[in-house]
Amino acid sequence: MNLEDRIENFGKILINHRIKVIFSTLIIIFTITFGMKFLETPSGYRGFVEDDFKYYQDVLDLEEKYGNIDVLTYVVKPDTGSIFQREVLNLIHELTEISWQTPYSSRVSSITNHQYTTVEGDDISISDFVNDISKMSQAEIENLYSLAVTEDAVVNFAMSESGKIGLININLEMPDDINFKEPIDFAWKQKEYFEKKYNNVYVGVAGSAQFSQNFQSTSESDATKMYPSFLLLTIILTYILLRSVVASIISLTVILLSILPSLGAAGWLGFEVQPPLITAPIIILTISLTHAIHMLSIALTNMTEGMTKNEAIIESLKINFSPIFLTSFTTAVGIAGINFGDIPAYSEMANTVVIGAAIGFILSVTLLPSMFSLLPIKARKRKSYVINVLQKLGEVIYKFKERFIIIISILCITVFSLIPNLTFDDFFGTYFDRVPAWLEVKNVVDPEFGSSFYIFSDVQSNETDGITNPEYLKKLDEFESWLISQDEVSDVSTISDVVKTLHKNMNGGLDEYYKIPDDKALIAQYLLLYEFSVPYGMDLKNQMTADKSDSRMLIRSNNNTSMQAVAFKQRVDEWLNKNIAPYSTEGVAGIPIMMPHLFVENTRGLVIGLLITFSFIILVVGSALRSFRYGLISIVPNIIPFVLGFGILTLVTNMVTAAHQFAVLISIGLVVDATIHFLSKYKKALSINLSPQEAIQYCFRYVGYPIVVASVCLFSGFLFLTQSMFYYNFIVGGMCALIILIALLIDLLLLPPLLLIFGKKA
Amino acid sequence: MRYIKLILLALIFFPFSLQADTAEGVGLKIAKASYENGRGFIDMVSDQLMILIDPKGKEVIREVSSKTLENLDPDDGDKSITFFKTPKDVEGTVMLSHTHISDDDDQWLYLPALGRVKRISSSNKSGAFMGSEVAFEDFSGTDYRKYNWRYLGEKIENDETFFILESFPNYKNSGYSKRISLTDSLDRTRKVDFYDRKGELLKILYLEDYELYKDKIWMANTMRVENVQNKNMTIFKWLNRELDTGIDKKDFEKSSLMRLAD
Repeated sequence: MNLEDRIENFGKILINHRIKVIFSTLIIIFTITFGMKFLETPSGYRGFVEDDFKYYQDVLDLEEKYGNIDVLTYVVKPDTGSIFQREVLNLIHELTEISWQTPYSSRVSSITNHQYTTVEGDDISISDFVNDISKMSQAEIENLYSLAVTEDAVVNFAMSESGKIGLININLEMPDDINFKEPIDFAWKQKEYFEKKYNNVYVGVAGSAQFSQNFQSTSESDATKMYPSFLLLTIILTYILLRSVVASIISLTVILLSILPSLGAAGWLGFEVQPPLITAPIIILTISLTHAIHMLSIALTNMTEGMTKNEAIIESLKINFSPIFLTSFTTAVGIAGINFGDIPAYSEMANTVVIGAAIGFILSVTLLPSMFSLLPIKARKRKSYVINVLQKLGEVIYKFKERFIIIISILCITVFSLIPNLTFDDFFGTYFDRVPAWLEVKNVVDPEFGSSFYIFSDVQSNETDGITNPEYLKKLDEFESWLISQDEVSDVSTISDVVKTLHKNMNGGLDEYYKIPDDKALIAQYLLLYEFSVPYGMDLKNQMTADKSDSRMLIRSNNNTSMQAVAFKQRVDEWLNKNIAPYSTEGVAGIPIMMPHLFVENTRGLVIGLLITFSFIILVVGSALRSFRYGLISIVPNIIPFVLGFGILTLVTNMVTAAHQFAVLISIGLVVDATIHFLSKYKKALSINLSPQEAIQYCFRYVGYPIVVASVCLFSGFLFLTQSMFYYNFIVGGMCALIILIALLIDLLLLPPLLLIFGKKA
Repeated sequence: MRYIKLILLALIFFPFSLQADTAEGVGLKIAKASYENGRGFIDMVSDQLMILIDPKGKEVIREVSSKTLENLDPDDGDKSITFFKTPKDVEGTVMLSHTHISDDDDQWLYLPALGRVKRISSSNKSGAFMGSEVAFEDFSGTDYRKYNWRYLGEKIENDETFFILESFPNYKNSGYSKRISLTDSLDRTRKVDFYDRKGELLKILYLEDYELYKDKIWMANTMRVENVQNKNMTIFKWLNRELDTGIDKKDFEKSSLMRLAD
């Protein structure tokens, strides 16, 4: 019994037991779907890295010693003038006070509660920098700027050097596995309240806490905004393509029942709803849609040609079973290649799509025929302009086959020459540039402060109370100066700054004493004094260990690309290797170091993944066609869409981000599909003794239309993803849509001439 | 009819208003008794050990010794001198403080490496003390008059009956929103829960090793503070504590600081 007979038997069994098939499928589907309730809320940027990722471990080590690194920042900017206006200071003061109520907050610091020291002889008085605003004269308020700008701990941390922007920084001590929803919701309520109360002042919410929460909020807004409209679009598209209400219902049922259990499976597997996962249902939907359209349109055509409903669907099953299996398989293999990368959120998305593709295949060949057989369907004869156009195209291509090859080759070579402009790089700072509130606050913060993100360095003196050693502090100073001279750094704050300020204040406030004293005992006594006089939440515990052996540097990072940051880290390590002895450090750590290294490792993994999956797919295609020659020919139309796609990308950017790489792996399996359909039909045409010219016409007539339809479905699906608030989803959508579109054109315009010239002569 | 309703209403609410009244009254009474229980020591000298323990169990020990002079004026606070002994770098540092009930405390610090006495005025001393989990206000704030009290009821734990008191700081800039303390039948405070500014439990203080001095004053010789948020712990131990030793009152003047340091 050959394959076709087996499929026919299988189809008959399905139809005889259609009620059982439908019910058992539904039971299985709903059982798996139940897992959706176990889908995890995303853990922000921390969910973007593996727990054992080295640069994340560096962050965890820091946090164990000095407390959580996450900061929630309010950005206060008056519409005109500096923050040193009565109203603005009142706002900052009130907001600072209320910030102590922020859930999980451990410290709050701003210009108003900055501990300011005034010296009169041997009398030292320490108090809030801005105390009682109502009692201050206008002149006193205006004078505050000149005092603030000389304070190390204020400039670039609590206010911008220009004095135009004030920051309120809230350190958050989050328990494990709790996301930032509570503190961020709290902060947004304050933002709304204060912007209403002081209507000429902008209050923004920033910091790594907001950055982290963006992962959850974009997932939520994407899901609620994109899913309903995409479903509507699918319904319209399906009806246009099938022209049958019942067939459309079958198609939509199969699609929805492929999506729900894949999300259910994602839940059972404990996946997090990170922004990439939001794209999975849409990708599954478009893949399942193409299967359903193939199955149903051929069945409907068969009915208009006089077959009974059951004969029509069994015939369609016979024609489509192998291609649907093969295309689902190659799609799954391509997307599964994402697992070679290092970003769990993307692996989870990929695995969800792989599950969805598998379920989609199974339902297309079980549930779909059973429903088709059960439900009343009338087929209407469809006029197809598309098929006519395609047939004309086939004739034109045969006539001008050499010209097509030459023109497309020239185009490819021209575009290919642009590709060396591309570099692998990305910018984690742009992840949420499509979120208006985040972009707004970023545009306020970045020009004045560099960025919202901090880097840290834990420098160990290797002895108890070693940080009071002047040599140690001078080393910190040296490291600080070197760091500040680097383009990647905006400002640095160290414990040596605290000591210098104390030394100055203990010597009548004279600037010439703003330096590290040479006496270790004196430094220790200064710090003792300092520790007696600081208020709650302002101690040095987040800067030094209790035994005073190690201290933590705070480095405000500029907006660096991944490659800049990786090179920066390397330079830091080199400098430290040469200069830090006799002290020791693990170097620099923090989000601006971790995310870039994640990008690099991820790229390395994906390139390997791409090579493996691509070779595998070519092997599968070659063996499915049982031909080395066709296997080789298939490589051309499958590579060119990527070459052209990335060539065109150079017109927009020269940065190949992780998202672009993911787009390659997502689309590779889809691009191959059309080639498989075309080549297998071409081979079949030759086997029934058609001439190459006739074979091409045969292909255009029988697979041209399904290829166009499938590509249109995929193209619209991916184009739809560009609505996502998550920048990387936008790139994945746009890039995949572009590649699918080019692939369609190449399959129609280049593959036929290639086959005519390099294919087997009949 | 209307009058009957009013009377009924009054009858219903009367016991509550009475209770609210007594809850504060009883609270204050117990707090006062507990405070007065520790009074009458005239003066006190002792050595203290402060042990800082981080979440990994790593320990750091700091040593100080101190002298305290009881202020017999009920409207003013005590005076104390603290001598720092370890780490070695702070050896010889002396701190004199005059605590006050309503005003900011006065504080003078003699730094031997600088050879000078500095007067520190700081209105806000709610921060951690020498890297510990104890804030300066925890020491200076033992006076019951710095809080508003409320009696919450009784509790039996290990066959012992405790009074539960809630107290709210009535001075500015406190790091706490409230404290909940357990006082035993001998008016000794045994445990205090500190709630941070946002009302979440921050740390728990256990007062242990109570010893009866001069047959009338109970004093805890160990204070254990567990920070439940950052998981650090601090243990204070009083060693060689002696009461009523007849210290010269003049020692507690600023002018004596440099002399005492030697």
